[in-house]
Amino acid sequence: MPDRDRGGHFYSGLQHRPIAGCTTPSLSHNAGSSAAASAGIAQTEKSMFQFLFDVLIRSVDLALIAVALSAVYSLIKFPNVALVQYAVVGAFVAMSLHAAGLPLLVAGFASALFVGLLAVVFNILIFERLLKSDSAIALIGSLALSMILSAVFLLAYGPTAYRFKLQVSPAMRILGARITDHQVTTLVLTTVALGLFALILFRTSLGREMRATATNGVLAAATGIDTRRVTNIVVFLSGMLAALGGITLAMRGSVSIDLGTNMMLPVFAAAILGGLGNALGAVVGAIVIAAAETVITNTNIGPFIGEDFYFLPASYAPVASFAILVVFLLFRPRGLFTSEVNRV
Amino acid sequence: MKKIAIGATFAAVFAGLVATAPVRAEDITIGAVIPLSGASATTGKDQSRGIELAVKEINANGGVLGKQLKVLVEDSGGKPQTAIDAAKKLVSVDKVPIVIGEYSSGNTIPLGQYLVQEGMPHINPASTSGLVRGIGATSYSVVGLDNVSTEFAAQDVIDHGWKKVAVLAMNNAFGQGVAEEFKKHFTAKGGEVATTVMYTIGQSTYRRELQQVEAAAPDAYVFTAYGTEGALIMQEAFELGLQEGKPWYSILITMMNKDTPADFKAGLIGMDVGYIGEGGDAYKTEYEKTYGETFLSAYGGYAHDAVLFAAAALNKAGSTDKAAVLKAIEDLGKEGLKGATGEIKLDADGQRTHQPYLKFKVEGENLVAYD
Repeated sequence: MPDRDRGGHFYSGLQHRPIAGCTTPSLSHNAGSSAAASAGIAQTEKSMFQFLFDVLIRSVDLALIAVALSAVYSLIKFPNVALVQYAVVGAFVAMSLHAAGLPLLVAGFASALFVGLLAVVFNILIFERLLKSDSAIALIGSLALSMILSAVFLLAYGPTAYRFKLQVSPAMRILGARITDHQVTTLVLTTVALGLFALILFRTSLGREMRATATNGVLAAATGIDTRRVTNIVVFLSGMLAALGGITLAMRGSVSIDLGTNMMLPVFAAAILGGLGNALGAVVGAIVIAAAETVITNTNIGPFIGEDFYFLPASYAPVASFAILVVFLLFRPRGLFTSEVNRV
Repeated sequence: MKKIAIGATFAAVFAGLVATAPVRAEDITIGAVIPLSGASATTGKDQSRGIELAVKEINANGGVLGKQLKVLVEDSGGKPQTAIDAAKKLVSVDKVPIVIGEYSSGNTIPLGQYLVQEGMPHINPASTSGLVRGIGATSYSVVGLDNVSTEFAAQDVIDHGWKKVAVLAMNNAFGQGVAEEFKKHFTAKGGEVATTVMYTIGQSTYRRELQQVEAAAPDAYVFTAYGTEGALIMQEAFELGLQEGKPWYSILITMMNKDTPADFKAGLIGMDVGYIGEGGDAYKTEYEKTYGETFLSAYGGYAHDAVLFAAAALNKAGSTDKAAVLKAIEDLGKEGLKGATGEIKLDADGQRTHQPYLKFKVEGENLVAYD
């Protein structure tokens, strides 16, 4: 059944080539493996597509929330930690509406609108006031709000995980990679959402006002831009993006109250990598983080330790985010691309 | 509404007072700490029923040391600290000679450690983690631990003709124990565990772990999972095509079966602890007659047997003196005692040597026991 073992050893394939007698140069002298020795070139290609696809899907997990974080940062100059919890609110509200009988699309859209409004309310009630003191105080305030939201979820939903009641069918196979319906939906939704966001940012007068406010708020105000209104519109959009991020995650798995906390580190790493404040740079950051995580979890390190198969636990994936985050904060605190941000 | 709430509070407090009313001097009292509230409250209710039936049965047969037996039941709330506080009260205020408790290994272990510190006899009626074995000298289990359950599972998997399996278990005390012990027994029986993947609980997806086990190309997948996590694992295995032509085997299948929709578990088989053992029919009849329904969980019978065991030990000791009771428990463990869950014998560490398990297969939504 060689068709079976294509799951995660794109890299392991390299280790086994000497055994399989293929023509590629040998990268390893370890010959301790037998079961996966059948991995030939075709097999490796299939694994590679699966690997690339895993990276793509993981990027999508992170991209929406990271873009939201970065976009808000560009205007209010502090990273709003509570954004990851907005994603959880979005998922829970959409699930409740869906369970109440609304079609998924309507439930998702209504939930995104709701979370967008909620983000604006929190911004006006809490963050505008805190920002008058200092951005560091606003950051701590957002951490506090994040914890409060987490406690509210615990009271309202309890510690168990919830899923959408959706039709689930076996994955399609495209170029050897397995792709499920909901993953396709997620890809489409994310692309459309990010595309719309980019359009607003670069092709509308509102976008011009946003960019002007982000670059120099005082000057923007002086030219007659209502910066408060612009900020709240961006906060609204960021809430919608975060909610959409949470909903698409929930469509492909389950959501429990820990989701926000679990997403915080990789999302921050992606946003910082892309250069905080550079909204679409966060997409590239998400791809880099996703690739690093997937290398960690999909690489068979068994041959190095004398076993056929040994994978690092998937819970080690955040190590990738941590390592990349530390390296970037040390050497390129402005992220991959230069931006107007001076510190993070 | 508020009035009702206040009334209910008073009623609850009053009920609490009645339940913990001073013990009559002529009674022999032992203690039990079980989860009457919290996430495992249903199991706790079943345990308290098992205890109630055991007390009725013992007192109908002459009681303990010529007196009536009474069991003081305390609520652990499903939390380790509450469980320990309850045990402290039982030991220092009520001065009980034996404490039974709790349900989940995470609570039973600290509870047991406190009792061992005090030199008190502790009987574990439910927890199966291998770590329970290390609680200490005065701790005993009337339920078989991982080593017993995984041996049964390993034999069952081998009997199905699956020689090379991949194991998927949660990364906590329970899952680690299951994975290690299963590998030990399965290898000893001539099977091969191609890979073991430990997953962190509470994730929003298990695709990564599933792709990792799939890479080993096993004959079958063996896993253990709690409720909704098991459901998600089965759903994603279905989506990834890991269920196509490959059997899935669940260790302690009742933990996850109810939460998993029928579509994602077609053909799933597994095992779990037996509700009752040989000679347990009388208990089953009595239970259904008293409570008008079938067992709420598998653990009422074990709580019932914990009380039977404690009572028999006290009778054997001839007093409630600690040293005498401990000696009696050791002796009784060697001789064996017939309970609702079959014959209870303890090994040198005071852990049950064998116990009934059931093989289950999924039919639609439901589990069906088979031979």
